[in-house]
Amino acid sequence: MNWEQNIIAATTEIFSTMLMMEVTPGAPLQERNANYKQSITGMVGIAGLFKGMLAIHAPADVAMAITTNFLGLEVDSINADVKDAFGELANMLGGSIKASLSDNSRDIQLSIPSAVCGEEYTLDYQPRNHCTTMPFKSAEGIFLVELQLEQQV
Amino acid sequence: MDFSAAIIDATSDVFSTMIMLDAIPGSPLTEKMLSFNESISGMLGFSGDIKGMLRIHCPDRVAMAITGSLLGMEVDQIDDDVNDAIGEIANMVAGGLKVNLAKHNKSIELSIPTAIGGKFYTVHSLARAERVTIPFAMAAGQMLVELEFVSAK
Repeated sequence: MNWEQNIIAATTEIFSTMLMMEVTPGAPLQERNANYKQSITGMVGIAGLFKGMLAIHAPADVAMAITTNFLGLEVDSINADVKDAFGELANMLGGSIKASLSDNSRDIQLSIPSAVCGEEYTLDYQPRNHCTTMPFKSAEGIFLVELQLEQQV
Repeated sequence: MDFSAAIIDATSDVFSTMIMLDAIPGSPLTEKMLSFNESISGMLGFSGDIKGMLRIHCPDRVAMAITGSLLGMEVDQIDDDVNDAIGEIANMVAGGLKVNLAKHNKSIELSIPTAIGGKFYTVHSLARAERVTIPFAMAAGQMLVELEFVSAK
């Protein structure tokens, strides 16, 4: 299953309305990126009719710029504000994608968001198919939105 | 509901029946912010009557020992098998918690497990969430099982 359009719609809408940032989608990654350096990942679990997880990944400098736009405050390190902002972004993206999949808000539910950051880390999950990763270009740099989703039978 | 006891029950059950390794629970930790060196964290979001995230944090040595015991083979490096095993253990422990919660008339749905690993990373969670972290002592070192949650309205 390909979630390209769901990701593009959710991401461009949230970035333009909540962060006042124009972001341009690129071509979906052919192979999922599992390794991150000096980055931050915001993620939220998806459960119910569809099961999976949504993640937003950004290099530290891009993450700080996004946080500045989002919260309207200057940040110069990956502090608690940046981590909160990325958890909240994952939550909003998950909410928007959830709404695009079902009209009944009880069909699909989100977990609480979480953020992971570090000098060097990997992110992996099972099953490795059913996932789509879209790069987005902003004035501040490139970030990735990744969706792993499987419809439950 | 006693969440510490629920974590200990679910974890001990998985370790005694599936992994066949001794894991001795200790007293709950009080730290909120968790940083890890050369470790793997399996995490899984859930939603429903309570929503949250279950995480299992293991130093690489512990992760390899667990994977070796689960798969019945020697494991001497961090590879896909280890990521899958730690993710799957998060899944099994969360499954145990789901059964336990159902006995207390609370229903939850699980998302998919994700494995994070790396030389140095930090896992950040919501300020408003409750968090219970139980350490388990094993021959290869210490594993943490962490439950973070908020009650849904």
